Amino acid sequence: MTKLQNFTKGIIKENPVLVLVLGTCPTLATSTNVMSALGMGAATTIVLLCSNVVISALRKTIPDKVRIPCFIVLIAGFVTMVQMLVKAFSPALDEALGIYLPLIVVNCIILGRAEMFAQKNSIVDSAIDGLGMGAGFTLTLVMMGTIREVFGNGTWLGFPIPVLSDNNISILTMAPGGFFVFGLLIAVVNKFSQNKPKKREFGCEGCPSADICHGKNCGEVEADD
Amino acid sequence: MTKLIIILLSAVFINNYILSRFLGICPFLGVSKKLDSATGMSLAVIFVMLIATAVTWPIQMFLLNPNGLGYLQTIIFILVIAALVQLVEIVLKRYIPALHKSLGVYLPLITTNCAILGVTILNIDEGYTFVEAMVNSLGSGLGFMLAMIMFSGVRSKLEGADIPKSFKGLPITLVAASVTSLSFMGFGGIIENLFA
Amino acid sequence: MIEILTAVVPVVIIGLICAAVLVVASKIMAVKEDERLPEVRECLPGANCGACGFAGCDGYAKALVEKEGTPTNLCIPGADAVSLKLSEILGVEFEDVIEQAAVVHCNGDCNATEDNVDYRGIESCSAAKLIFGGKGTCGYGCLGLGDCMNVCPQNAIYLKDGLAHVCRLECVGCGLCVKTCPNGLISLTPAVEDVAVLCSNKDKGALTRKVCSNGCIGCKKCEKVCPVDAIKVKNNVAEIDYEKCVCCDACTGYCTTGCIVRV
Repeated sequence: MTKLQNFTKGIIKENPVLVLVLGTCPTLATSTNVMSALGMGAATTIVLLCSNVVISALRKTIPDKVRIPCFIVLIAGFVTMVQMLVKAFSPALDEALGIYLPLIVVNCIILGRAEMFAQKNSIVDSAIDGLGMGAGFTLTLVMMGTIREVFGNGTWLGFPIPVLSDNNISILTMAPGGFFVFGLLIAVVNKFSQNKPKKREFGCEGCPSADICHGKNCGEVEADD
Repeated sequence: MTKLIIILLSAVFINNYILSRFLGICPFLGVSKKLDSATGMSLAVIFVMLIATAVTWPIQMFLLNPNGLGYLQTIIFILVIAALVQLVEIVLKRYIPALHKSLGVYLPLITTNCAILGVTILNIDEGYTFVEAMVNSLGSGLGFMLAMIMFSGVRSKLEGADIPKSFKGLPITLVAASVTSLSFMGFGGIIENLFA
Repeated sequence: MIEILTAVVPVVIIGLICAAVLVVASKIMAVKEDERLPEVRECLPGANCGACGFAGCDGYAKALVEKEGTPTNLCIPGADAVSLKLSEILGVEFEDVIEQAAVVHCNGDCNATEDNVDYRGIESCSAAKLIFGGKGTCGYGCLGLGDCMNVCPQNAIYLKDGLAHVCRLECVGCGLCVKTCPNGLISLTPAVEDVAVLCSNKDKGALTRKVCSNGCIGCKKCEKVCPVDAIKVKNNVAEIDYEKCVCCDACTGYCTTGCIVRV
């Protein structure tokens, strides 16, 4: 895999939010407007980049048994740093993100990338992966933020949009709108990725008769749906 | 007393963790397919929320705040919660195997559940006393349970429904969650006025 | 320097306390597990079908390890291969597995029953069941939309005249269809003994006869003719006790509506 592919897979093929469906909580909560979406995306990207680099550097030092607690403490350290930075330089953003800023610790994307990628790959690759995933996360958040802010509030990044600012669907900026827009986005992604044939979930693993049939019947399970 | 009731009811209905605060969405989407797993998960969440609050509130008030270490909140809380969940698992396995069997699978999932860390941090941010914090945790847990159980009913109906191809699975679940969340918005303003 | 220490020390101390508590707790409260347990569990197919009579594969593995004398031949989907492996691990004698196969307890095909409604919904029994309790006149019978056929990993179930049939030679007895059928019509019976009651209608005889010409009317003729007392009519429908049944065929020819047959 080239470096470029490594970077772009986070944005499209393995988009953490829309394809892997990780980190749904901050996605729904902070995408009410573009500004907080950008802030959340940037904060998460920084944490993701730092944690990926450090975990990849320490991957041979950390004993396998206690790796998860170690990862969590490392991530929590970086989150605290980002928290302090945001508080110092942008109190307004701190106000907007509120509880979701410390909750980056439990964002599954970060721990997921540490487990799936950083602990198996070199520092440079992990850094690129972290940046790519962060970019994918930020892009999705901004996309949702744009939809919700433009149609819900009639503005974009705070600038009013003519016509729309007088006819807004304010429910979109509230909780139900978050679920709805997210559902629609995933449906759109499904629509475009549907051309590839998908195997039915029922594989030989967990199939009670795998011992007996030795996969000879499975040719027929490749479904067309 | 009235304040406690208001805290409890608003945690269950108005500030419902899943449907209005977006905390704990992962288990909400993942484990709400069946009623029994939804119940098991929510019971485990309530249980851990209460214990986590009981431990983290004193740590914040008696250890971190007097020493000006408020900024260590995130790191210490997650550490303590992770250890706590592990401990609860060991204790349950030893002394109440039946409970461990029904909650066991969900416990490790809970460590990295934002609802738990969220409730402990919010309790501090809101400036609750210990009793208020415990009541708020109980209410948040109950609200979580209410949303999970209600939604498992909605999902079992979804299974038999004729859904457009692209919407099958997660998208339609989210749209249904949106409608459920909309219905919870109806509670807004009711509870404060109950006691006014 | 002092500032750094005031932050580092509490984190370290709390971390140490947590670690110490966990280590102590895991030592004191360790639950002894037989080291053969994971090995035994590994052998089992993991379908959690419950055919062994225990609560899932974990339950069976536990019973095998903890209670001496638990038969190793209870896993039906695993058949002889699993039984052999289990007996090797546990050091007991190999026992042959009594193979089971599924049977659909309904004989109400489109010639025997009539449709109540013209069902045009989703092609799924569970969906049809939700709406009118099924399209046919008999509320107990096969819905004929093939939910069992879709879950069968062996492709051993087929639909004919709006009724599901199991090809007993291909069936491995995994029991997935048993769980799937919304009317609970499918059960596992010993594969060698192949007499079955093909009706599950629990209404009184007259009502049953009204909706299906092949249904069991609970006349108890089979009860009387059975030489080993293996058939009993319960809830207006005959039931065969396979522990007693000797497959003598006395009942199959004698049944008034022909719903006891060889399958």
